[in-house]
Amino acid sequence: MGLVRKKAAEQPEDVAPERPSAEALRAQLDDPDPDCRREAALGLEGDEESVPHLLTRMTVETETNVRDAILTTLAAHDNETVAGSLAVHLASDDAALRTAVAEALATMPRSMPALLPSLLVAPDHDVRVMTAMVLADLNHPDTAAWLVQMISEDPHPNVVTAAIDALLPVAGPEHAAVLEEAVRRFPDDPFLRFTVQAALPRLAGTA
Amino acid sequence: MTDTEAPPRVLVVDDAATVRLYHSSLLLEAGFQVDEAANGLEAVEAAMATPFDLFVVDVNMPKMNGYTCVENLRSETVATDAPVLMISTEDRPGDADRAYAAGANLYLVKPVTGERLIRIATMLTAGRGTPA
Repeated sequence: MGLVRKKAAEQPEDVAPERPSAEALRAQLDDPDPDCRREAALGLEGDEESVPHLLTRMTVETETNVRDAILTTLAAHDNETVAGSLAVHLASDDAALRTAVAEALATMPRSMPALLPSLLVAPDHDVRVMTAMVLADLNHPDTAAWLVQMISEDPHPNVVTAAIDALLPVAGPEHAAVLEEAVRRFPDDPFLRFTVQAALPRLAGTA
Repeated sequence: MTDTEAPPRVLVVDDAATVRLYHSSLLLEAGFQVDEAANGLEAVEAAMATPFDLFVVDVNMPKMNGYTCVENLRSETVATDAPVLMISTEDRPGDADRAYAAGANLYLVKPVTGERLIRIATMLTAGRGTPA
């Protein structure tokens, strides 16, 4: 009797598991199991139609690892629509959400520049502080220039000190004057004065 | 509580290096022992390994924010009864309430003068050590 070869379709162990559809993954975002929600969030990477679903889920998600997965997937789009939708949450009363959003925005160098003109003049100074936090980690050639603008022009000392903190790791001797001017603008702020006085010798040393 | 012969040991928790340097310098100059953590997660890990007499904690930090950090410090995992002073730029209505709900003893809005920080740190650590 000759050897009879089984057809491939009759060998279930050789069949790759079917990838859930985007629609199924979107439904899975509301699953009671956090692991399922996280898997769904990561599985939706690159799916433009899922962005509104992810943005909605992000605002109600209570599990940190699921929310972080949602933000990772959203940030990968790095477009102005997503960045603008995320930036709204820099003003959130939820500290965990606003700091997670700031971290996500810091990974969106293509889309952040378009948002900065409005963020730098946001009426809520806490939003401007969060913007400095974003800039601290944003990999963009104009980051230092935006921080210098905040230090030179922002009327709130906490924003200026946040911007100084973000600038110092990349500051050089060319930034000494703007830092000294900040101290002159806020002579009664002890932290700002301390920070600049501590930084100036190092900046001079790099001249 | 740590050895009463030793100065109180403070953990300064802030993602901003300049803020950590500022608070640490003031506290060291006043005779406290000072350790630093750059976010809430590092703070919780440090608190599990070392008994501190005071925590000075920021609110907005990556990885773990200040409120969650304080909740963890008060949880069964760490269960420290050391006082927690939260210092933040946030001065919206309800921020202080959230800090106290998390387990903080005091909530201050930046900037805090050196004199005020030391006065409060000394008050909060009374009986927990002897600042030099």
